[in-house]
Amino acid sequence: MDIKTCKECMQLTSVEEFEAATNRLLETGAKVGADSWQQRVKNQTPHCKFGEEGICCRICSMGPCRITPKAPRGICGCDVHGIVARNYLRFTAGGSATHSDHGREICHTLYQTREGGNYQVKDPEKLKRIAGEWGIETEGKDIYDLAHEMAETALMEYGKPFGVQRFLSRAPEHTRELWKKAGIEPRAIDREVSQSMHMTHMGCSSLPEALIRQSLRAGLSDGWGGSMCGTEFSDVLFGTPKPIDTTANLGVMEKDMVNIVVHGHDPSLSEMIVLYAQDPEMIALAKSKGAKGINICGVCCTANEVAMRHGIPMAGNFLQQENVVLTGACEAIVVDVQCIFPALGPLSKCFHTKFITTSEIARMPDSDFIHFNVENAGENAKAIVKMAVENFVNRKPELVYIPEMKQDATVGYSVEAIKKCLDRVTNTHVDVTGTTKPLIECIDSGVIRGAVAMVGCNNPKVRPDTAHIELMKKLIANDIIVIVSGCAAQAAAKAGLLSKKAKTLCGEGLRRVCELVDIPPVLHMGSCVDISRMMVLAADCSKDSGWNISQIPLVGCAPEWMSEKAVSIGNYVVATGIDTFLGVDPYTKGSEEVTALLQGEHGVKDWVEANYTVELDIEKLCDKMIQRIEEKRVALGI
Amino acid sequence: MGLFDRVFRGSDEMYAKAEQSVDEIIAKVGPDAPMNMPNTGYFLACNYAYLGRKITKVGELKEALADVRSMMTKEQRTRDVFLSGIGTAIAAEIIEACKYVETETPYEGTLYHGHLTDAEVRELGVPLVTGDIPGFVVIIDEAPSDEEAAALIKGYQSRGIFVFLIGGIIEQAARMKIGMGFPVRVVPVGEDIWAVGHVISLVVRAAMIFGAIQPGDFAGFQDYTFHRIRAFVNAFAPLRDITVACGGGAIAMGFPVITNETENIWRVPKSLIVQPNTQEFIETSLEARDIKIKVTKIDIPVAFSSAFEGEIIRRPDMQIEVDGSRLDCCELVCTKEASEIEDHKIILEGPDFDEFPVGTKISMCYIAEVAGKNMQSDFEPVMERKIHNYFNCIESVYHTGQRDMIRIRVSKSAFEAGFRARHFGEVLYAKLMSDFGAVVDKCQVRICTIPEKNAEYRALANKTYDARDARLASLTDESVDVFYTCILCQSFSPSHVCIVTPERLGLCGAVSWLDAKATNELEPDGPCQIVPKDRPIDEDLGTYEDVDEAVNKYSHGALEHVTLYSIMQDPMTSCGCFECICGIEPMSNGVCIVNREHTGITPMGMSFSELASMTGGGVQTPGFMGHGKHFISSKKFLKAEGGVGRIVWMPAALKETVRTRLDATAKDLYGIDNFTDMIADETVVEGDPEALMNFLTEKNHPVLSMEPLM
Repeated sequence: MDIKTCKECMQLTSVEEFEAATNRLLETGAKVGADSWQQRVKNQTPHCKFGEEGICCRICSMGPCRITPKAPRGICGCDVHGIVARNYLRFTAGGSATHSDHGREICHTLYQTREGGNYQVKDPEKLKRIAGEWGIETEGKDIYDLAHEMAETALMEYGKPFGVQRFLSRAPEHTRELWKKAGIEPRAIDREVSQSMHMTHMGCSSLPEALIRQSLRAGLSDGWGGSMCGTEFSDVLFGTPKPIDTTANLGVMEKDMVNIVVHGHDPSLSEMIVLYAQDPEMIALAKSKGAKGINICGVCCTANEVAMRHGIPMAGNFLQQENVVLTGACEAIVVDVQCIFPALGPLSKCFHTKFITTSEIARMPDSDFIHFNVENAGENAKAIVKMAVENFVNRKPELVYIPEMKQDATVGYSVEAIKKCLDRVTNTHVDVTGTTKPLIECIDSGVIRGAVAMVGCNNPKVRPDTAHIELMKKLIANDIIVIVSGCAAQAAAKAGLLSKKAKTLCGEGLRRVCELVDIPPVLHMGSCVDISRMMVLAADCSKDSGWNISQIPLVGCAPEWMSEKAVSIGNYVVATGIDTFLGVDPYTKGSEEVTALLQGEHGVKDWVEANYTVELDIEKLCDKMIQRIEEKRVALGI
Repeated sequence: MGLFDRVFRGSDEMYAKAEQSVDEIIAKVGPDAPMNMPNTGYFLACNYAYLGRKITKVGELKEALADVRSMMTKEQRTRDVFLSGIGTAIAAEIIEACKYVETETPYEGTLYHGHLTDAEVRELGVPLVTGDIPGFVVIIDEAPSDEEAAALIKGYQSRGIFVFLIGGIIEQAARMKIGMGFPVRVVPVGEDIWAVGHVISLVVRAAMIFGAIQPGDFAGFQDYTFHRIRAFVNAFAPLRDITVACGGGAIAMGFPVITNETENIWRVPKSLIVQPNTQEFIETSLEARDIKIKVTKIDIPVAFSSAFEGEIIRRPDMQIEVDGSRLDCCELVCTKEASEIEDHKIILEGPDFDEFPVGTKISMCYIAEVAGKNMQSDFEPVMERKIHNYFNCIESVYHTGQRDMIRIRVSKSAFEAGFRARHFGEVLYAKLMSDFGAVVDKCQVRICTIPEKNAEYRALANKTYDARDARLASLTDESVDVFYTCILCQSFSPSHVCIVTPERLGLCGAVSWLDAKATNELEPDGPCQIVPKDRPIDEDLGTYEDVDEAVNKYSHGALEHVTLYSIMQDPMTSCGCFECICGIEPMSNGVCIVNREHTGITPMGMSFSELASMTGGGVQTPGFMGHGKHFISSKKFLKAEGGVGRIVWMPAALKETVRTRLDATAKDLYGIDNFTDMIADETVVEGDPEALMNFLTEKNHPVLSMEPLM
């Protein structure tokens, strides 16, 4: 018996359609002699087996050492477990440093805010709330004085000599005890990164257990430190996201307009670009060049940031970055930091596209470098927009092809927004508002079975977006609600899974919840730095339900991850008590000991009540997640 | 044992009971015995709706049960809970249906109402769309005390909520002497939990009648009930598994369950709500189902609610009677200059009710004098006609008739509560200001109980009535520049559009062209929109490009053409709440008309319910048409097919209602006197077309010389 009506059934865009569009764009690329990641993957395959297993050590110049049955130890005598664990910690440190430094930039931007300036405090309430949490007096203070004080305090979190991260106070009591007991409470953020580098230096740690413990601590310094600063103070600066409608996929590029693509992670730049693209002077200039206007769209996490605050359309995720240039309709691709292909430089030279780098952190050949700094943000942004607009006339019409693929999406479900949505289904005569309790009740009664936090990148090792989309489809059909961020979120958006109409693809329980709460079944929580939001949500659910985080029928999943940041994330998600499922191996299979620590019953699980599962078969990965969620339900007696 | 398991266990229980009932009845009457629910065209409606099964024989219940069993799957998923819950409701209907195999009235002589007829379902159409009935509650089992039971029922009643009672609360209500029955909107459905089958039967029939949901379209019913039926459940502790299973069905349909059970129950937002404080059931429930009650605060000593509309005051309970049949009485709304009246002034001329002995029949006139910049005299009758409804909403007061032929009874209990003549003024003031605030800026009410003075008032009123009648008579489809749409019913019947013209009122009988005009004025973006008639295609047939455009637009593309005066070519659609249904009778080439109140069979071999089920829900069915009673005597009625001369059969009571005007129309059209007598009725012909032909031939009915219809 079919409970769902077909007339309202949702038509998703399939991965096959994505690929057909990509192939068509690659034809253009071939015409102009462009290189592509697809080609480079072929060139790089097969990958180095030692590298893949994590058993190659080049930390000192005695090597490189590679472990084989015949050569079971490096020159210094470190065994395979020590080498794999050291590599794993260094990988984590790279990710933690990257996310946290993004957070630091945001804190600096907060420090530069002033009344009427380029940057202002858009959510003073949130600023005061965080100040309250940190025990900083707000009464009678000018909001900008408070902002500066908070920025300075936050910046101290990076290097303070004593104590642990302030945001740990947000975690439930039980979690904090576990961290304390395991010795993994993160201290100053930079210290955890530095110590990780120190521990992995030649002649320091080779004990896997110690290295993995520090991996969790470095991860936590990101998730409950640097990333959380990035998220929270971005909200203070640019507004806390609330549900907003947008569109996604390459079809958001406009044939008759100046297309400026913002790419990267730091919203400080993109916010200004968005602002100046609406400047009447710039629009008039665009019109004088024969364009109908200026169209901003995003790629990667910058797309997430501006979509959830302004409804700016999302052109695509990580592995779509070359596609936007291949449309021949991109006047400028403006980048800040992280996940930017150096390939964009040579590729942009095959078209009229301006490849504009803006950060001293991400300098690349074949780009126009306009050093973006907070003090001159407005002028910088205007110059960038102007450069793009003036470039419109150089477009080669014969190379223009924009695939007509576009889906509706509702984005911007911050923790604050989720609670506000949940308030809609409370009853003022029996319930309190402003909590996650309605969600807990849905899980407790079985209407929703549980939740999956799906995050992460694209990786050519997985057919791009397939894992994300197929997993999400199956999960929601099984009444499991999915929260997403980063490139996983954009995969969902491109397919149509962030549309409220996607409720028709859900099981009856989740479908009803979506209907009553008026949400899509897959909730967009932001960029990759915003996985910190998911930690806050898990913490609040724990407090509202009385369950420990590890008891909640909730798992994390990164099926197509690729970056160091993703490993850092994985570590803090697991360390927070959330079982995490990976679809790509984290360079650890060379060591049984490290694998057992990360994935076994008596490694990290003994410390933090959660562990990793690595499963490359996507179908099985999904079944394992559903099974884990059901096991957690049984354990709770629900 | 979780919530889902309780549903599964309860559904098993209901199924077992159904199986037992079916086995017993088959053993008793055999599988080929007929299985008919009385006065419905929808068989066993739940079975018909959800399973697509037209059950007509007892043996078929067994097959239906097999379907029900297959719905009761037990995976730990909401889908399984929803299906099991609905399966439980279907099983409940089967249990109840077994009682109707051997008698049409199994509940005779009990407190219980049992099956609801199609006519009852259709009667709910108008009050539901107008919001007079903002929703339904099904109250299950015994309240903590009789007093609480009474308070709950009365609380809902005073908010206009239609109340269904199941189980122990019925005895409690009876002990508390609460008036029960369909007219007072408190229906004691049955003693056992399976009586819910009757309520769900009503729900799915509403979906078929008003929503044109097709039998077997499971998803369609889900969608309709969730989005359009404002129902909810109050279930008292202790909750049994079988009740929880019914609750699963209710929640599947979109109806929240509010309970005071706190043991072994799981909260589900907006669906299963635990409210330990039964005093707060009403407010909690209304919020859960998003029902907002329009409250007009009226300064009178008794309650005021649409739930009291069906109340009857018997002679022994009567304190005073306004008797328009023997004495000079009248009710009137008339327009004044703003300077002539004082807002909210209530003038009583003559003695008040406490100055008459108990049981006196008195003369009384009441005149609402209104003023407003946007007031038009055309709105006077529209407002005046509402007085009947306003006064009936007063607890323990009843009103019939209109103009100078009114009868009002004020009961002793209302009088004892302090109800006096000026309170009629308060009601008129409050309601006219709230309902017609867009055109009425000031309102003053004059009430007079002095017989001599009332003779004058009545004479004055009659002049106004005469002028209005002349205006109405001059209002023909040709004499006006615009028609109006009425899409009031779209909240239930999403693709239905009425085109209201002076000679063709809305099919519910409740919206005349003047009403539509007033509604348009009061709510410019409301349900009645102007339809110009600038581009006629064929004025004889009643086809206009403007009308086609309007129906196309307001039916959201479901309808392309409507012919205003034909039953055969693109007839106007119906929502389902029509007063009458007209269908062609092939042998005579005429049409039979049957009104909702008539339960007997027509010469076409079908009852009102069965005929009505052929159309409705905004679907065009050539050969069938729903319409208002007043349309019958219109010259535009079946004009394309030759006019009223096509009418060959009507129930006797309906004939009497329309006789005068119908005879006049026939005289004008065909030169025939006493045409109504040529029309057969149930006293001469029931289900037999041959007998009908004989009757028509004998009367030399004009249809015999008309062209074939098909």
